[in-house]
Amino acid sequence: MSNEQTIGDLLAEQVDRLLGREVTRERLIAVEDGSFDQGLWQALEELGITLALVPEDAGGVGLGWEDAEPALRAAGSWAAPVPLAETLVAGWALGLAGIDNPGGPLAVSDLIFQLDHQGRLSGEDGLVPWIGHCSHLVALAERGGERFIALIPRDDLQLTAVETLARIPSARVVVSGFAPAALAPAPFAGELGLKPALAAARAVQMAGILDRLLALCVDYGNTREQFGKPIGKFQAIQHLIADLAAQAAAAQVAGLYACRQLDRGNGEHGAAVAKARAGQAASRGAESAHQVFGAIGFTDEHILHYYSRRLWQWRDEAGSEHWWAERLGRQVLAAPGAQLWPAIAG
Amino acid sequence: MTSPFSFKPLELPAALQPLRQRVRDFLAEAGRDWSGWKVGHSWTGFDRDFSRAVGAEGWIGMTWPKQYGGGERSHLERYVVVEEMLAVGAPLGAHWFGDRQSGPLLLRLGTEQQRQRFLPEIVKGEASFCIGLSEPNAGSDLAAIKSRANKVDGGWRLTGTKIWTTNGHLSDFMIGLFRTGGDGKVKHEGLSQFLIDMRSSGIDVRPIRDLTGEAHFNEIFFDDVFVPADMLVGVEGDGWNQATSELAFERSQPDRFMSCFPVLPPLIDEIRQGGDGDRLAARRLGATVADLVILREMSLSVLGQLAEGHAPAREAALVKDLGNSHEQQIPNLVRELSDCPATLARGNRLSELQGFLTQNVPSYSLRGGTREILKGIIAKGLGLR
Repeated sequence: MSNEQTIGDLLAEQVDRLLGREVTRERLIAVEDGSFDQGLWQALEELGITLALVPEDAGGVGLGWEDAEPALRAAGSWAAPVPLAETLVAGWALGLAGIDNPGGPLAVSDLIFQLDHQGRLSGEDGLVPWIGHCSHLVALAERGGERFIALIPRDDLQLTAVETLARIPSARVVVSGFAPAALAPAPFAGELGLKPALAAARAVQMAGILDRLLALCVDYGNTREQFGKPIGKFQAIQHLIADLAAQAAAAQVAGLYACRQLDRGNGEHGAAVAKARAGQAASRGAESAHQVFGAIGFTDEHILHYYSRRLWQWRDEAGSEHWWAERLGRQVLAAPGAQLWPAIAG
Repeated sequence: MTSPFSFKPLELPAALQPLRQRVRDFLAEAGRDWSGWKVGHSWTGFDRDFSRAVGAEGWIGMTWPKQYGGGERSHLERYVVVEEMLAVGAPLGAHWFGDRQSGPLLLRLGTEQQRQRFLPEIVKGEASFCIGLSEPNAGSDLAAIKSRANKVDGGWRLTGTKIWTTNGHLSDFMIGLFRTGGDGKVKHEGLSQFLIDMRSSGIDVRPIRDLTGEAHFNEIFFDDVFVPADMLVGVEGDGWNQATSELAFERSQPDRFMSCFPVLPPLIDEIRQGGDGDRLAARRLGATVADLVILREMSLSVLGQLAEGHAPAREAALVKDLGNSHEQQIPNLVRELSDCPATLARGNRLSELQGFLTQNVPSYSLRGGTREILKGIIAKGLGLR
C-alpha cells in the first residue's frame, strides 16, 4: 500500500465524518433553492479534499484519481451539496496544463470550445452545474486540432438558468469572443476533452449514492413492519435489496476502474466502461430502492429522492450509459470478432 | 465508510503476457476442429484427451505443491490460463472439478496418502472428479440430504441417491456428502465427505437426458457401497463446513460469467458482414462489454483477496449473481442483433452456439447455488432477516 493510498483513505474517512454530521435535509433544500453552502465548502477546503488532484508544487495534495476515489465516493454517498466533483476535475486539468488554480469552487464543461487566432474563445454548453456559485469555468478549447485548457472568468460568460432533475443550481453557458483568463496546451486531452474525467467523477458519485441507498434500504427493511414482522424478513424484499447491493458493488468497481484508467492516461476507455456500467446500476438501483420504500419514499418529505434524483441526473451527465456504450460498441464493431477478447484481456 | 463490500483492485502483471500467448497458441491448435455446438458446452464439456494435453502443459493444479505434481505457480497465472480457456469455450469438464474443487479440498484437508494418490493423477488429466451434493429431496435445501454412510469394519457403507451430478457417468471419482451422525435435529451437523471410486460395486449411474437432448448430469444410486476408512475426507461430521467453505473461490471465478462469451465473436462478425452495425447494435454490444469488463475486475479483486487470506464470501456471491445474469442475457442479445433463422444450421458456428446456449442458459442460475439462494446469502450478509 502506497503512502498516497493511506492519505486517500484517511481523507475519505474525514470527508465521510464531516458530511455525515453536516449534510441535513434542510441544507440540501437550501442549496436546491439556490443558495451556496459556504460553511460546508470551507469545511471541505480545510480537509484538503478540494485540492486533492492539484499537484503539490501548485499548492495541492497531489493525489491521483485512484487515491481520491474513496473521498469522492463518500461525498457522493451524502449527496454533498457542493461542487466538489467539478472542482476536482477542474483542479486536475489546470494542474496538468500548468495553470495557476484560482482556488474556491470551480465549474467545468465537458464540451469543447473554439479558439480563434486572436486567442478569443467561443462556444456554448447547455448544462454547467454550479457555475453561478463559481468564480471560473474550466473547459477544453480547440484550434486547428490543437487542444488547450482554458480558465474562463464567470463574468465573461452569458448564463441562463436551466432546470435539472437534481435541482442543483445550473446554467446554460455561452461564451462569445472573450480571451480566457489563462490558456495552456493540453496534450493530455483526447478528442473528448474533459468528458472522460467528468464521467469518471459522476460514476464514482453514483456509486456513493448507491451505497447510501443500500444502507437506507437495509435499515428500513429491518425496522418497517407489515403483516406483523419487519418487511426485510420477506424474501421478495430481501431479493430487491440483494439486487440493489449487486448494482452498488458493480458501480463501485466501475468508478474505481475509471479512476485507475485516468491515472494511466487511458481515461476515455475507463470512462466508457464505467459510465456505461454505473449508469445502468443507477437506473436499476434507484428502481429497487423506490420499490423497497413504497409510498413514503415517493414523498417530498422523505430523504430518498435527494439521492434518487441525483442518480437520474448524473446517469445522463457527461454522456449517458447509452452514449458511452455506443462509443464502446463502435470500437468493438470496428475490428473482427476475434479481436474482442484480446481487447478485454490484453 | 458506507459500502459493506470490499473490491480492492488487482492488476494482472504484464509479465503474464507470454503465458497468455502460449495458452492462445495451444488453443488455436487444439481447438481447430471444435464445432459451435461443442464450444457451447464450455467448462462442462468432457474431453479427456484435451484434459491430458492441458495437463501435459502443466496447466492443471498449477498452484499446487510440486511434490504432488503441481506447478507452484501463482493464482494469477492460473487465472490467465482459465480465462483464456473459457474465452474459446474449451472443454474443461474432464479436469475442471478436480482442478477447481476436489484437488484444493484434498490439499487443505486430505490425508498425505490421499494427496499422493489423487493429486498427481488430477494434474495429468487422468483422474476426473464429480461432486455429489444434491439429492432428489435436497436441492437448494442441501442440508436436508438423507444419504447415509454407516461405519463398518474397515470403512463405511454408503446408501442413498445423489442427483444432478454433472459428468458423473464419465468421472472416475466423486467427492460425496453423506450423513454419518447427528440426531437430524440440526441439519448441518453429522455430515461427512467421502472420496468414492465410481467403479465400486453397488453404484448405479443413470444419466438424465436434459432439455438439450444430451445427458450431462446423472442420478446416482448407492446400494450398500463400501468405502475404505481412509477415504473419509477431513473430519467426520464436519462435512458441511468443508463443502461450503470453498464456495467463495468457486463462485467468483470466470466460469460464472464467461459461459456464453464464445458466441460474441461470431456475432460481431455477422453484424460486420451486414454493414458494420447500427446504433442499437453498438449500444447493446458496448453495454455487454462494459458489463463483462467490470465482472472481470470484480472477479480479479476476489481472487486477490483470497490470495491474501481473506474469505470474501459476500463479494463472491455477488460475482456469481451478476455473472449468471450477464451470461443468461447473451442469447437474447444475439437474437436482437442478428436475424438468426429459426432453424438450427449445423456447421454454422453462430447458429450452433446460439442453439445450444439458448437451451442451456437456464441451468446457469441453478448450478452452484440458485440465484435465490445467492440472494439470500447476500441479504443475510447485509444484516437482513
